[in-house]
Amino acid sequence: MIFSFNLLQSFFYEKLPLPKELAKILTLRIFEAEKGEEVENDTQLKVDVLPNRPDCLSHFGLAREISAILKLRMKPLKFSRFREKKKKKGNIQVRVIDKKGCKRYTGVEVLNIEVFPSPTFIKEPLLTCGFSSINNIVDITNYVLISLGQPLHAFDLDKIEGEIVVRRAKKGEKIVTLDEKEYILDPEILVIADKKGPLAIAGVKGGKRAEISEKTKNIFIESANFDASLIKRATKKLNLETHSSFVFSHHIDPNLTEEGLNLCLSLISEIVGGEIQKRIDICFEKNLPKKILLPIASVESLSGVKIPEFEIKSILKSLEFKIKKEDRETFSVLVPTFRQDIFSKEDLIEEIVRIYGLEKIPSILPKETLILPKRNENVFWEEKAKDILKESGFCEVQNYSFLSEEDKKIFKFSNLIEIENPISKEFKFLRPSLLPLLLKNVKKNEKFFREIKIFELGKIFLAGKKNEKIEKRNLAAILTGKEKFFELKGVISILAESFGIADLWFDFFKPTPEGTKEVWELEKSAEIKIGEKEIGFLGKIKEKVLKSLKIESEVFAFEIYFDEFQNLAIEESEFEEIPKYPAAIRDISLWVPIDVLSDEVVAKIFDAGPDFLRDVDLFDIYEKEEEGRKSLAFHLIFQSNEKTLSPEDLNLAMEKIYQELEKKFGWEVRR
Amino acid sequence: MVFKSLEGFLFFDKINLMKETVKVILNRVKKKIERAKNLKDLEKIFQEFLIKEKGLKKIEEKKREILKKKIKKELMKKAKVFKEKKKIFDITLPGKKPEIGHLHPITLVKREISEIFQSLGFSIFEGPEIEDDWHNFDALNIPQDHPARESLSLGKTIYLRGGELLRTHTSSAQIRFMEKNQPPFRIVAPGKVFRREATDASHEVEFWQLEGLMVGKKISIANFKAIVEEFLKRFFKKEIKIRLRPSYFPFTEPSFEVDISCVMCEGKGCTVCQQTGWLEVGGAGMVHQNVFKNVGYEEGKWQGFAFGFGINRLAMLKYKISDIRLFLSGDLRFIKQF
Repeated sequence: MIFSFNLLQSFFYEKLPLPKELAKILTLRIFEAEKGEEVENDTQLKVDVLPNRPDCLSHFGLAREISAILKLRMKPLKFSRFREKKKKKGNIQVRVIDKKGCKRYTGVEVLNIEVFPSPTFIKEPLLTCGFSSINNIVDITNYVLISLGQPLHAFDLDKIEGEIVVRRAKKGEKIVTLDEKEYILDPEILVIADKKGPLAIAGVKGGKRAEISEKTKNIFIESANFDASLIKRATKKLNLETHSSFVFSHHIDPNLTEEGLNLCLSLISEIVGGEIQKRIDICFEKNLPKKILLPIASVESLSGVKIPEFEIKSILKSLEFKIKKEDRETFSVLVPTFRQDIFSKEDLIEEIVRIYGLEKIPSILPKETLILPKRNENVFWEEKAKDILKESGFCEVQNYSFLSEEDKKIFKFSNLIEIENPISKEFKFLRPSLLPLLLKNVKKNEKFFREIKIFELGKIFLAGKKNEKIEKRNLAAILTGKEKFFELKGVISILAESFGIADLWFDFFKPTPEGTKEVWELEKSAEIKIGEKEIGFLGKIKEKVLKSLKIESEVFAFEIYFDEFQNLAIEESEFEEIPKYPAAIRDISLWVPIDVLSDEVVAKIFDAGPDFLRDVDLFDIYEKEEEGRKSLAFHLIFQSNEKTLSPEDLNLAMEKIYQELEKKFGWEVRR
Repeated sequence: MVFKSLEGFLFFDKINLMKETVKVILNRVKKKIERAKNLKDLEKIFQEFLIKEKGLKKIEEKKREILKKKIKKELMKKAKVFKEKKKIFDITLPGKKPEIGHLHPITLVKREISEIFQSLGFSIFEGPEIEDDWHNFDALNIPQDHPARESLSLGKTIYLRGGELLRTHTSSAQIRFMEKNQPPFRIVAPGKVFRREATDASHEVEFWQLEGLMVGKKISIANFKAIVEEFLKRFFKKEIKIRLRPSYFPFTEPSFEVDISCVMCEGKGCTVCQQTGWLEVGGAGMVHQNVFKNVGYEEGKWQGFAFGFGINRLAMLKYKISDIRLFLSGDLRFIKQF
């Protein structure tokens, strides 16, 4: 909010610090502030009034704060004497129908006025604060608004027909406002109306019908208090915000209506003249000062610094809190009604501490028993997985959590969680997989890097069977280039090893109803399983998908359900004795039918071999497609825990293996 | 010399002539070897004198063999020199750089932050990204129609079909934790938060925050100052000053903004801190008693502090990154720098 430095200064006997310096002080003690522009003789002060301090949405309110912070004496508000009729003589009646929407309504008729331009002392601060000067009447109401923070409204009395009613608008009721705009209203909106219809949108803007013009002779001044939420909702609905509605959308003190009206009448009497009739004051809720008990020790306990009792008292007093000693350890504090934000002793402590000076609070490390924290399992395993991928040469990326309408079509995802108020089509759904955006990363980086090796470990989101929202973590990686299936397979194997997962294996791809078949090229893809549980996919991304995303490279990827993966992880690795006896390697190569899986052959060699056959390592494949067979070559690694194996032991073992493979399966061993 | 007979004279001459010839030939060959430029040249000399025996035929056999041995020795000597020259190792050739991977800067910063807080006795807790109104607003003392629900940046909320929302701050994690745990405790809860706003160099739709919460019998503002100072000092690896300014959050009372002395100019004033000498790090305050009430704690029994820092912001300050949009860009030219 913009303040006029001159108007602020007018509340003090002594000179205030210069605007720049004042702004610095306010920043440290109450609100962020900065010096604004110079407007003629005046300077703007831009102050970020916090939402819980509507009492500072006025020059008087802010001056009150400054007085407490700088310990300067304030001048009282200049109220010239004005005469108000003692007996009810006015014609106007007011009826408040919506009592919750309007806690207090005061109003007064002033007869025989004249409309003309305002004097300088009224105009100047208005201009500094960004208001235009209209005429004496309107300007005075605005002056009261910026001085006291009480919005007023002036009606041309002669244009009002019948009694004034404060009610909710009827559906479809219309009003043309002062700036010639038409608004269609409904029962969510509070209006000031007469027999003919709405005269003003309560607390927001006045209507043209009863506006103050040069010809106006008699006026009705309204000084009321409207419910903050109601006003807020109206401004949103009508897309119309004014300085008045801004002030009203905070909980301001209903007692302010009286002060506001008094200041207004005093200024009218001084500047305009006219006859002031007896005021109307309809009040439903008397706003009484709150009493809060403040245990003196609690100030030190919460802040960590000992503030002397006399200083606590003096600070609260300077903020217009009334203090009494309830007993030796407690103050009883009476909160002024303009502080609608104070409810508890903590609120009081905040006041004390900020005026005292937050910089005066020392830094003291807490003296509590240090219990070493338990490690967070999710974080531990996530970091482990990330490190392994990094060590394998992958770069970690992070992508948005959203999926676009377009990608939904390309990937044919289902069970998506939809965004109710999306920012754009790109952010229509929550992502059910990390792959779409990882592929977009490939597209982006293709032109700069020959090979792209990236991964992401992040959350994906799905709608469950009962429409519940599921949030879980996936780990996905991408490798571009030709024939990278086995390279990725190797990475998954290392992951499984370091997570202590022994029974991770790869199964042929069986497309699931979740539409994952749209993504993977079936022939070069596999399901990743642990035991019988599917925990992800590995394979080549379909050309069709790459084309839709305009990706040039060939892409291989895997995506693992990380929550499930982690649940099966075991951390202990046991130290294995380094073998005492040397290992011996024998090679074997055999012809098998071309469709026999290498896994199978390995398993059968193990079966046929002795206990001391430790490892079977495939090192060569030679396919003869036209003969329908292939030659597989293995290193067989033998090692015993009990003795050094002799050539006889090894020969015997090899013979047995040859026999079994040839006899049982008819595979030709190449000797 | 006295020659007894002409034959004696001729014979003697023959021997002298032979001696001369051997010397001359050896010198001639030696010169040739010296002039040889490579192994091929040496090969030629070898062929000429040791195989074809050019000019050596007149020399008697025994002496011829000795001469040939001498020539061979010279050839071998020179050959060795050539062979050694071939072995020169060019150390100035570029090395073969292994292709190393990189972690995302947010991961690096998160790790560092977590380590520092863990060493200060804080546990790490993570709350869900999908939240409901109660955990994200109401329990934090932000009821409907409260001005704070709109005017604080909390108003820009992304809602899901079905009524849930994407959390707008990690403060909801405070509620999640306190629902299931009793004080005293100290936790940090890093996590992603979401805002419905237009992106630019300093605003993003999703970014990372770190929530801190320490609750006990006598936890005070002074304790908060000490913990935060210690954290920032270790994170920025230099002596820093912090400053608390009054602020307002519905879930803390008192509330503050936390500033750190500008890490670029050490508080002297520069473009990064807009000449103020201070940088905003985040918000904090003493947990509001209503929040304790909402999670079911005994009234008036506990007090503590809470804070919320921007992890992206800390990363940007630490690594001097100018645009927040880089974090979610997926641009490897950015990520490979870390």
